[in-house]
Amino acid sequence: MIKSLSLVKILRQCSIRSIRHFETSTQPPPFSSDPTSNPISQQLPLIVNRQLEYPHVRYPPLQAWLETLGQKRDEKLGIVDLHPSIWQTSPRLDILYENIEWQKTYKKIDWAYTPPHHEYPSMRGKPWPQKGTGRARHSSRYDPQWKGGYKVNGPKGPTSFFYVLPKEKRIEGLCTALTVKLHQNDVHFVDSFDLPTHQPTYLQELTEDRFWGPSILFIDDTDIMPHNMMFASAKTEGFTVMPVYGLNVYSILKHTTLVLTIRALNKIEKKLLHALNSYDTQKDQPAPPDEP
Amino acid sequence: MPIERGLQYLRHMQRVTLKNLPMPLEKTDKWKKEHPDENTIKSIMSRKGPISRNSLPPYGIDPIQAEGRLPWILTVPKEPYYEGVEEARQYLPISLRTLQRLIDLRRINPDKPVDLPVLCNTKLFSIQPDQRQFGLQLTDEGADLFSTPINLEIQWVASELAIAAIERCGGVLTTRYFDPISLSALVDAKKFFERGEPIPRCDTPPINAIEYYTDPKQRGYLANPDLIREERQRLAQKYGYKLPDSSKLSPLFHLRKDPRQIFYGLEPGWLINLKDQTILKPTDNKYQTFYHS
Repeated sequence: MIKSLSLVKILRQCSIRSIRHFETSTQPPPFSSDPTSNPISQQLPLIVNRQLEYPHVRYPPLQAWLETLGQKRDEKLGIVDLHPSIWQTSPRLDILYENIEWQKTYKKIDWAYTPPHHEYPSMRGKPWPQKGTGRARHSSRYDPQWKGGYKVNGPKGPTSFFYVLPKEKRIEGLCTALTVKLHQNDVHFVDSFDLPTHQPTYLQELTEDRFWGPSILFIDDTDIMPHNMMFASAKTEGFTVMPVYGLNVYSILKHTTLVLTIRALNKIEKKLLHALNSYDTQKDQPAPPDEP
Repeated sequence: MPIERGLQYLRHMQRVTLKNLPMPLEKTDKWKKEHPDENTIKSIMSRKGPISRNSLPPYGIDPIQAEGRLPWILTVPKEPYYEGVEEARQYLPISLRTLQRLIDLRRINPDKPVDLPVLCNTKLFSIQPDQRQFGLQLTDEGADLFSTPINLEIQWVASELAIAAIERCGGVLTTRYFDPISLSALVDAKKFFERGEPIPRCDTPPINAIEYYTDPKQRGYLANPDLIREERQRLAQKYGYKLPDSSKLSPLFHLRKDPRQIFYGLEPGWLINLKDQTILKPTDNKYQTFYHS
């Protein structure tokens, strides 16, 4: 079903020339004879089969297009297999809500503090005698009913709202966020982030032509990015670049589209599948891996 | 399939964003109205009574029926360290010092086997079977003074030193169990014979005592005699004395009672006539099989 819908999207967005080119994908494109001007020099299609660990019992692997950022024309390099445990889970919006609330509140500290009775100036003596003056009777100047008086049961000191959501909920949150994005046509897979120029206009026009949305989240497997990519995303508003270890539900839902490289996809699948298919207790958990 | 229907909805509906997610039911105002928390209830309710004064009784008790008092079950305190006192077995102590003293004063004859009726005939111990007392136990006070070989039969021994003290002099110890009916016959034997009842058959010990009476270390009467011999050697090595040869012992020290037998020389089922100095034995088959089993 996804394949048919993606084809529909291509028919809407891409030009007819590119479709005709895709049908004859094994041959080089006819319009560009210069090998230097064509960034795609390899034999197409690039990816045909991808090995998946822990194959799902019921569902076959999903499929998605593999695209490039190297040229402005929308050209598909191949098809990528996706694991259904991550990309076809039930769309649990309540778990997404819990993850987002956790991300917002675990950092929160409430600094409100109202000094109590003993931290006020001394309250010896009545402000005026009990009888005689026409005013109300009072015993001290800083009582709670006075303006500027102490508060009885007010907030006392910094309170923290720290808590850690259980591991299973965090994992399921990531998987549902990814399925939601995939099934609403907001995920794109790219071979790498190598751009021909550092001009931000190149990336902006590319994404506008392809209707990739105002805010995009680019994800690579390491935190060292190519210079062109960094420059272009720094100068545009709405583009963020992130390594795999920074992936979180809030960022996935905040940005309209997700763009993943194949290496990032491999890393994410490996980590999530290992976590989904293991039954480690708190004590038996292995040490975290060396690479981030 | 629930997953596929949900994904179908996803495809046709709006994009899921941070502002589109549904709030959980417990945070809506409607739910909070129907399920008020403790503080709101307290602010609405009266300012008097046990609820407002934090003096409610524990759950399960109606404050109106209780009339201001806790039920009797909760007022009486629990003392769990006394648990099991109704089923515990008691043994009266007899030390090696008293034994040696009785032998020196010629109140006990060491040339005959020393067992419970012999010790009770000295009238020094008053054993009451209906008070959960099951006999005598040997304590190790006077282990250095003890120096006569005897064939002793006792109901409980707690220390290895007492066993070693008896075996060092060349004596023999067995621990034996008597149930309350046979105990009442043993404690005052003359009175029992005057009653005119047949000698009872001794029962097997209860489950929590079987481990003790089958243990060779405690010289139980149900233990394997080969293992008992091993333990005697082990104790001799531990405490540093030499065991006498078993072949040189007199036949006194080989005398043991059958597990069903109470008196030496008398079988269960026999009726004793003190006046005519006769013994009556059962001839019927079923009585014989019962008393000999």
